[in-house]
Amino acid sequence: MTALDKMIHEIKDLTPMPTVASRLLEMVEDPDSSMADIAQLIQYDPVMTVDILKICNSAYIGLKRPAESIKDAVNMLGTDQIIELALVKSSAQVLSGDRKGYGLEQGDMWRYSVYSAVIAKQVAVRLGLKNKSTIFTAALIKDIGKIILEKYVSKDFQKINALVKDSGYSFREAEKKVIGIDHAEMGALIAKIWKFSPRMIKLIHHHHLRDESMIDDREIAAVYLADCICMMMGNGVGSDGLSYRFKDQLMKIHGITHKDITGIIAEFGLNMQEVNELFKMV
Amino acid sequence: MKQIVGVADMKVSNNTAVAVITYSLGSCIGLDIYDPVARVGGILHYMLPESAIDKEKAAKRPFMFADTGIPRLFKTAYAMGAKKPRIRIFVAGGAEILDQNGFFNIGKRNYMALKKMFFKNKVMIDKQEVGGNINRTVRIEIATGDIFMKTSGSKEVRI
Repeated sequence: MTALDKMIHEIKDLTPMPTVASRLLEMVEDPDSSMADIAQLIQYDPVMTVDILKICNSAYIGLKRPAESIKDAVNMLGTDQIIELALVKSSAQVLSGDRKGYGLEQGDMWRYSVYSAVIAKQVAVRLGLKNKSTIFTAALIKDIGKIILEKYVSKDFQKINALVKDSGYSFREAEKKVIGIDHAEMGALIAKIWKFSPRMIKLIHHHHLRDESMIDDREIAAVYLADCICMMMGNGVGSDGLSYRFKDQLMKIHGITHKDITGIIAEFGLNMQEVNELFKMV
Repeated sequence: MKQIVGVADMKVSNNTAVAVITYSLGSCIGLDIYDPVARVGGILHYMLPESAIDKEKAAKRPFMFADTGIPRLFKTAYAMGAKKPRIRIFVAGGAEILDQNGFFNIGKRNYMALKKMFFKNKVMIDKQEVGGNINRTVRIEIATGDIFMKTSGSKEVRI
């Protein structure tokens, strides 16, 4: 069995995203799916229904009158917000564990992922993107490859770190060089095995902008930039640190100024308490 | 007892049973000050250099910015008995992503904002751990003024 075969085997042993989350992912990307479809899907999952209603009726959301059903909640908050709550909730299972290989304690990776998702949505608004839920979702699950790769990173950390410190590699480039596959490729592979859409696979694969020919893609730019901003804020960053590449060129192409970035950071800083409240509930 | 300084937050204490700690400084700056005679110390964790980008947000969260946060940190310590000539200063954070240059280098701009204010007010930094591509967690013991720093995946070290 080659190393890659072994990794694929490990992916198949992973607890996958809950069914409701996978179905939601499909619906997010399907322009024909309606509010009613989404409400119905969530209703089929009683645990999810209870959790979503609990969050909707909490001080975090601050509804004027309580939502009594998912349909109510969708009507009051809009489809996007309900989908996002459901995704955040169901991704916790997959993302919240510790990832010692990356120096991440329990909850670190999940917190980073949710922050990235919230920021990605802000960036999507700034870039005038239509399907914000897709961007939110991609940013939320982009680091999923680390779940499999952490063991390999842990084993070869000294070698990877030496390439980063002494030879000018980014952490992703060093993973690729030493292990033969990096966490973005691994994430795309997991997404493929879990039958995510081609677009979601592409966004995960390119979230560090590995291939400069993708620089014009606005969706990739949104997920990439959200990740950069999240790294700068430091919360949930592991032993890979901020050792990824920043592309000035991408900012120019998409008309993003440093004021936009500081504006997004300030906005997030202001709302951070509320996002942290959400963690306590989920 | 731990007093946690969140992001865009500040804590100052004169309780010798307390350790003030701030987690995960990326490009943000953690400014630690300590007066060993008054045994007063604290940390400011700010995110951005200048409040001019959004006065409204600065009014709501003054600790988000260097120019609105730093004076408050010092004034709060003075109010608890600290004196300027005795204050020891440690600065951590200001990390950057690889190839992050010029205006986009928020870590460096955060650090420069602090240097500028210190230069104007004749304040000296005693020790610093700034720049690079790592994130840092910093803790100060109010009883002794000892400072400890940790980066992800490494052991905590005394500064």
